[in-house]
Amino acid sequence: MPIFIIGGKNLMFLDKKIIYIVDDNESVGRAIKILLTTFNFEVRTFTSAQSFFDSVSNNDPGCLLIDIHMPGIDGWAAHKRLLDSGSKRPVIFISADKHENAADRALKAGALGFLQKPFNCQALVDLISIVP
Amino acid sequence: MLDKGSIISNISDQLRIKRQESARGKTHNELSNTVNSQADALKVKNVQIKQWADKEQRAEAQIHIRTKAMDAATDGIFIIDVKNKDFSVIYSNQAFQTMVGYSRKDIIGKNYFLLYADIADLRIAEEIKNTLQKDESFQGEMLNFRKNGDKFWNYLRISCVRDVNGVVTHYVGIQTDVTLMRRKDFEIKEQREELLHVTRVGKLAEFVSSLAHEISQPLTSILSYAQAAYRMLEGKDSQLQEILQYIINDDQRAAEVIRRLRSLLKKSDPEVKPIDINKLINETIELMATDVTVRNKVIKIALEPKLPNINGDRIQLQQVLLNLISNSLDAMEGRDEFRELSIRTSLNGSEEIIVEVKDSGCGIPKENMKKLFSHFFTSKPDGLGMGLSISRSIIEAHGGRLEVKNNPEGGAIFYFTIPVGGGVKEWS
Repeated sequence: MPIFIIGGKNLMFLDKKIIYIVDDNESVGRAIKILLTTFNFEVRTFTSAQSFFDSVSNNDPGCLLIDIHMPGIDGWAAHKRLLDSGSKRPVIFISADKHENAADRALKAGALGFLQKPFNCQALVDLISIVP
Repeated sequence: MLDKGSIISNISDQLRIKRQESARGKTHNELSNTVNSQADALKVKNVQIKQWADKEQRAEAQIHIRTKAMDAATDGIFIIDVKNKDFSVIYSNQAFQTMVGYSRKDIIGKNYFLLYADIADLRIAEEIKNTLQKDESFQGEMLNFRKNGDKFWNYLRISCVRDVNGVVTHYVGIQTDVTLMRRKDFEIKEQREELLHVTRVGKLAEFVSSLAHEISQPLTSILSYAQAAYRMLEGKDSQLQEILQYIINDDQRAAEVIRRLRSLLKKSDPEVKPIDINKLINETIELMATDVTVRNKVIKIALEPKLPNINGDRIQLQQVLLNLISNSLDAMEGRDEFRELSIRTSLNGSEEIIVEVKDSGCGIPKENMKKLFSHFFTSKPDGLGMGLSISRSIIEAHGGRLEVKNNPEGGAIFYFTIPVGGGVKEWS
């Protein structure tokens, strides 16, 4: 059973991990959100990296699931921006494009990993569960 | 003392003698005249004979030098006597013998066409005979065989030798071993094909990847929705769960198809078929749609309705269209004020179709105009410089032209023509 901590403005489930999804394809974001909700995650979606940066600060906990190919700031650039700002946020890249060595590149950049769309829910949950 | 009579007789004797002497003198003169004139004639004759001899000697020298020259020539030369109905060779030079590998003895008196009869292409032999029997010259390239069975490409020319009345008396043939040139041509063609393949595969990979991208997105959401619903129905509705499992399985099958499509880009043989160029343009634009949207550009089309079909290779023509469209997009890259690309088709008379691709970029600098269609000329940092030269070769093989001009209102116009009812040549 989840434990409620009541304090300040925030009402949070202690055992719920927070996942931020950034994908310019709205339907993809919504679908993954619904899926992750069934795994008891708290999920927030954004359709651009900029809108994510605008509403989530580095201090907010949670794992970032981000699409690579997006107009404006793409996944790689967003990750770099996070790292440059000193964030330790765990990042998982997703993409519908075929990226040679994307998994290697993601790991080298310090991310949790890379998932080729469409991916199986178990693969995604396995990656997320690496985060303590 | 002399008597009168003896004196008279003496005088008459003397007179007779004198007369005789004079007659003899006359005969003698005549004789010497004849001898003289005969001697003169003889002299003339002698000069003539000497001239004839000189002439003959010169002619012989000429024949000698010509024979030597024929033998020194690097082309094979032979002469066929028309009188013999079986095309027997009456002369062949050294190069001919070397080329075919037979000795002069093997060749002289033999039918030219039977020299390589057992292995040569007899259809060509028939064609040559037919041409010659019409008293016309023959010229052509064919595969022949040396005595030892080695193949060689023979560029053969046979022409007619005529007498003063214009009647054909002999055929003179010249043949050149063009095997090396052929091989070179073949190598160049092969390299081009390879490059073409590389470019085509590159382009195709681009489209497959953008197509794969577009399809993968909905597949991702369908899979996630179905898996979410499946989990939500856990222990509640196994029938619905079964249905959802089918959706999940089919989604994953579709994803597998895309994976295979991405890795499966094979070389295809050219296929000539009737093509509706307008339809091909529309299909090509569809393929480019993502690219165009991502680059924030628009394509406007003005297609002449009811154009006649053309004969061509779809893939190749599509490659040209793709190349022109993608060049136009590149020309407007990073410039938001240049957005519009237009494609127009029209009929020029009843013979050819014109396809125009017009961008609204900066146009082509004058100094680049000439180099534009040459190999490896590119103004793009990551360009191969093959696109336009390949495109031009393709259009020319289809019997058309690919040209460029700058639009006075700005931008460049690339246009090509394709003849109505034309075919496709092999191009190299």
